Amino acid sequence: MFFYYLDLAWRSIKKTPLMSLLMVLAISIGIGITITTLNVYQLMSENPAGERSDKLVAVQLWSQGKDAWKEFNNQLTYQDAYNLRKSDVPVRQTAMFITGLALQTEDPDFVPLLESVRVTDSDFFDMFSVPFIYGKAWDKGVDTEALYQVVINEVLNKQLFSGEDSIGKTLYLDSKPYQIVGVTKTWSPSPLYFDVTTGAFKDSAQIFVPFSLAPIEEFQSWGNNQSWKRESINNYSQRLNSEMHWIQFWAEVQDDKQRDEYAQWLKRYVEQQQLIGRFDSPEAAAQLSNVAQWLELNEVVPEDNKILVGLSALFLVVCLVNMLGLLLAKFLKRAPEIGVRRAIGASRAQIFSQHMVEVGLIGFGGGVLGLVWAWVSLSLLSSRFDLEQSLTHLDTSMWLIAPVIAIFAALVAGTYPALRICSTNPSVHLKSQ
Amino acid sequence: MLSMKNISKVFKTDLVETHALRDFNLEVAEGEFVAVTGPSGSGKTTFLNIAGLLEGFTQGDYFLDGVNISNMSDNKSAAIRNEKIGFIFQGFNLIPDLNLAENVEVPLRYRGFNAKERKRRVQKALEQVGLAARMKHLPSQLSGGQQQRVAIARALAGEPRFLLADEPTGNLDSMMARQVMELLEDINKAGTTIIMVTHDAELARRAQRNIQIVDGQVCDFTMYQSGEGHQGGERASEKPHLVTESHVSLNQDKVAS
Repeated sequence: MFFYYLDLAWRSIKKTPLMSLLMVLAISIGIGITITTLNVYQLMSENPAGERSDKLVAVQLWSQGKDAWKEFNNQLTYQDAYNLRKSDVPVRQTAMFITGLALQTEDPDFVPLLESVRVTDSDFFDMFSVPFIYGKAWDKGVDTEALYQVVINEVLNKQLFSGEDSIGKTLYLDSKPYQIVGVTKTWSPSPLYFDVTTGAFKDSAQIFVPFSLAPIEEFQSWGNNQSWKRESINNYSQRLNSEMHWIQFWAEVQDDKQRDEYAQWLKRYVEQQQLIGRFDSPEAAAQLSNVAQWLELNEVVPEDNKILVGLSALFLVVCLVNMLGLLLAKFLKRAPEIGVRRAIGASRAQIFSQHMVEVGLIGFGGGVLGLVWAWVSLSLLSSRFDLEQSLTHLDTSMWLIAPVIAIFAALVAGTYPALRICSTNPSVHLKSQ
Repeated sequence: MLSMKNISKVFKTDLVETHALRDFNLEVAEGEFVAVTGPSGSGKTTFLNIAGLLEGFTQGDYFLDGVNISNMSDNKSAAIRNEKIGFIFQGFNLIPDLNLAENVEVPLRYRGFNAKERKRRVQKALEQVGLAARMKHLPSQLSGGQQQRVAIARALAGEPRFLLADEPTGNLDSMMARQVMELLEDINKAGTTIIMVTHDAELARRAQRNIQIVDGQVCDFTMYQSGEGHQGGERASEKPHLVTESHVSLNQDKVAS
């Protein structure tokens, strides 16, 4: 019977094209707005670490003095990051920050580019599951004995070397030659959870260089730099020894037990620092947050977004109320035909099903059109407000979610009109036809 | 076949109670062709609606094919309508968007027949009314008489045992009316019980039995022998029932308030 109802629904839609179009438009606008906000919300609230969420922990230290800010800072000082890198408790760990370097190649015609570069440790790539197409990360030994090695991404490799295997080739950063040891696939988790200090929704850097090169090459931080202490910083060495917070630090633990061990190790580290006169605040402590906790802690998804999703859902309800009115008018106009169908053997349930299939079909149409609206509005948001691509692409899950929400919403709106039409007394209409 | 005992039907509004049927008694045997006549507003259509399970009743007992219809669920009564009863209406009541074959097919869809069986029955029913060649036409492309024949085909497709016709010739000219009447007679000869409401005394006389309804009650039975060997119904009342009271009464409480 479903296909019979589907056939009747299609005929009915064709018979009243304007009214059907109005209903499809009503629901599609509601769906379009809902899907747009839901899409942005979902992309913002996604946990990109997936199953590894509990194993990756962001390290924070309350290292500031008692008169400084009253919360854990997202970043560490260089000296703390340097010390923490010596811990043998975590499976992996990495310190990192963003810098900017002038990129050149051996091609004399190449116009130098100023590129954002992530300064990090070799563990970074395994910890955050960075896929490689050529080569690999620099060796672990480079984290202590600095070498001029570099990992670039697929896009840059295509730009510089036409996508060929560039392992062993040289590129120049701030005029220094770096040997390429790895080329990553295009990889940009959203949100960029391991560094939310300058906004969680930006693209990953295209170039990665060893953290051990920082004191040698005196890489400047392109991220946030926060200091609570009045210090005179006239050179890079003073910066490294200052109480300025500018390094992100992540560790990987195997399980909860190892996480507890690491927490104990950090607690001892805080106590040691207090003994040498640092960490003089009574709140001095260490804090570990897994990826989910980290995203929540940093309010990667602002509360406003949740309100926006709620408001768009309310707008959908308004659209559905309009649709309900149109459906009621359409169905009741059909009462004489339904009277005949009831007289010749259709039960109320069959008439109800027939109309719900029609409503579902309208909902499906609204869902598909709603997806188009969502795509258009996301494209407009992207072009007009220069938002990151990671926030404005239509997530694949929405291709399924939109029609499902639209059909469900339409069925909710259609229930009352369908109940009304199937409960009409057939005998009233038979004589009047 | 059909047995109604002391059936009452009251339509209530805030101010008025209308007794459409009162102590209505009727027995119709299998294979009978019964014509129901009576003045406008006498309760003919109400009787037909109750007989066809399109409306409930206020009091009494109704047995159709030995089955007590009182308090029957919607699903069951819809199934009985679909399997045992065929309807023919004055206004034909064809679905304008469906072609003839699709119109005739509607009750078969609800019966759950497969496509092959539906096709066979549609073909047979349309052949029976002489319209098989026009099965792809829309109702609007047919004359009134042809539309009524399609309605008859639709009623016959489910091979019902019981055909209810509400002024089937009311919208037709005399020639078309005669053709439709002849078709109904043929159907009756094939064994289908027919109850036909009509204003046309000429047509009523062609039925085996004529029932007159006045003010919601059976007023008179008249037997016409067709000579075709049908069973015929029994006389239920020796005398015409004289109606002395109005069948509409005021709700005194409401009026007073």
